[in-house]
Amino acid sequence: MTVRVRIGMLRLTDSAPVVVARAHGLFRSLDLHPVLSIEPSWANLADKLAYGLLDAAVMLPPLVLASAIGLRGPAVRLIVPMGLSQGGNTIVLGGEAIKESASLPPGARLVAWLAGQNRRPRIAVVHQYSTHNLLLRYWLALTGVDPDRDIETVVVPPEQVVAALANGQIAGFCAGAPWGMAAELAGVGNVLLGTSDIWPFHPEKCLAVRDDWAVANPDALTRLLRALMRAQAICDQPEAADGIVATLADETGLALPREAARAALPGGSSHEQIHFHGAGAAFPALPHAMWFLRQMRRWGWLAEGTIIATTARTVYRPDLFSLAARMEDLFVPPGIARNIPVPTAAWEEPTFASGPSESQ
Amino acid sequence: MRILLADDDAARAGALTKVLSADPSLTILRPGPGELLADAVAALAPDVVLVDMARPDRDALEGIRIVASNQPRPIVLFVDQDDAVFMEEAIRAGVSSYNVLGVPPPDVKPILRAAAAMFRHHQIARAELRDAERRLHEREIVDRAKAILIKERRMGEPDAYRWLRTRAMSSGRRIPDIAREVVARENVQVLSVNPASAPATTQGSNTQGSNTQGSYTQGSNTMGAEAQNRGAQ
Repeated sequence: MTVRVRIGMLRLTDSAPVVVARAHGLFRSLDLHPVLSIEPSWANLADKLAYGLLDAAVMLPPLVLASAIGLRGPAVRLIVPMGLSQGGNTIVLGGEAIKESASLPPGARLVAWLAGQNRRPRIAVVHQYSTHNLLLRYWLALTGVDPDRDIETVVVPPEQVVAALANGQIAGFCAGAPWGMAAELAGVGNVLLGTSDIWPFHPEKCLAVRDDWAVANPDALTRLLRALMRAQAICDQPEAADGIVATLADETGLALPREAARAALPGGSSHEQIHFHGAGAAFPALPHAMWFLRQMRRWGWLAEGTIIATTARTVYRPDLFSLAARMEDLFVPPGIARNIPVPTAAWEEPTFASGPSESQ
Repeated sequence: MRILLADDDAARAGALTKVLSADPSLTILRPGPGELLADAVAALAPDVVLVDMARPDRDALEGIRIVASNQPRPIVLFVDQDDAVFMEEAIRAGVSSYNVLGVPPPDVKPILRAAAAMFRHHQIARAELRDAERRLHEREIVDRAKAILIKERRMGEPDAYRWLRTRAMSSGRRIPDIAREVVARENVQVLSVNPASAPATTQGSNTQGSNTQGSYTQGSNTMGAEAQNRGAQ
């Protein structure tokens, strides 16, 4: 029986697996009727998942975890049965001085840039509970910069960051493709580094599904994951990129700018690339969820009594992924859940008083 | 109570301001043009933020911490735990509400209710406008198809209309759809005088025709406020 599934997403290059699956008829071939909803904000995706106006969405893993433990409203029963993409974000700083330090490593450039600011600089991220924010803060701390004291973070929608940098509302940003490149092309900022330089193959977007939909439609959920796995394989082929760009640029869909969307796809010109299929991109690894949660605890965002391991296991569902992956003949090594690389524990030591000590 | 109303639709914001201003205990504030939502919250210190869900900068409200009495507290989404249906209605209407610094929810619900009603009212008005535009456009297409039939088949106007109607009835489709085909065929014939252009037109109509394996809905979308909740209804 054909099952309807309502999937929400934003206008971003890494929404590709869903729109490619639809364009290639992968949902239909597995008896799914997709209704795709393009939303203007992460908050809309979270709200529509919470109140049952969407069944699934392309989401930020930390926002799914935040929604599941009730950090932005009521606790919502959501699961992450698969990852959708890795990497793709860049950290950009504005002003003339940053151009002169191009020969230095990124950390030294940041420190020199900060020294030249006459007030606490504002750095934009796309959402409080975003991979962008957590990786930016992690890297700042690593460089000896306190993200709560030495800078100020504000949330600005990605499509507005270049203009905000140009008119001085912000001094820098961490945002997804294509906005880092767009800032350089506009001459208002310089890309300091990509988030994959901070954590190679870091999980970026994931599929979030309402738990009650997943429980009511177990077979359809498996088919949904299989369709997206097939789409991810297509998205990682450089020779398929032109077709994917055409799909992403479709006026009736995401309507993304062609050239910019092409740059971050495999074989594109951007330094920071999005990966969809290889290196375990689809695997919803518990250590990933735990890394995000530990960072949230580090910055004092988690309520006391939140148990990281339990939260991670409730939300992340490698069991559901493995079921679908086996049907697609994708090899899931038995030890994979124990051997997922995350940035080293030594780096996670809280550096500042603003971050309470970790207990895990 | 100070209410920050973040809605770029001037007519709707004006109407809602008028409704809420009837309660003298409410002060309605609006962000300045181009002002970041986070800056407006910091500068105006509202107790409640009502926000149009079509605004992409709605995300700026999530995670803002207001520093008061050494205890930074986040802005939180207003939620009526006991009335999920009401919350869903507000979301469908395209409006959301945030509490700043522990405003008791009983005071907020009537305000959000009024906002949801106003947003729904405008949604219906926009849908009716779209419908009227569509009808007008369809009438124009039918007129053009009739003109083509009158010229090419030397029919009188009543016969041209009957021709369209018979085709529609026998194929179980609507008259404007048949008229659109007549007009499209005419365009291809005209273009095929220049052979290079003809395939492009055909390809264009194929692209539209292949768009059948599932549907897109535009969520609350700034690119066109009229697209808001097109699929949600």
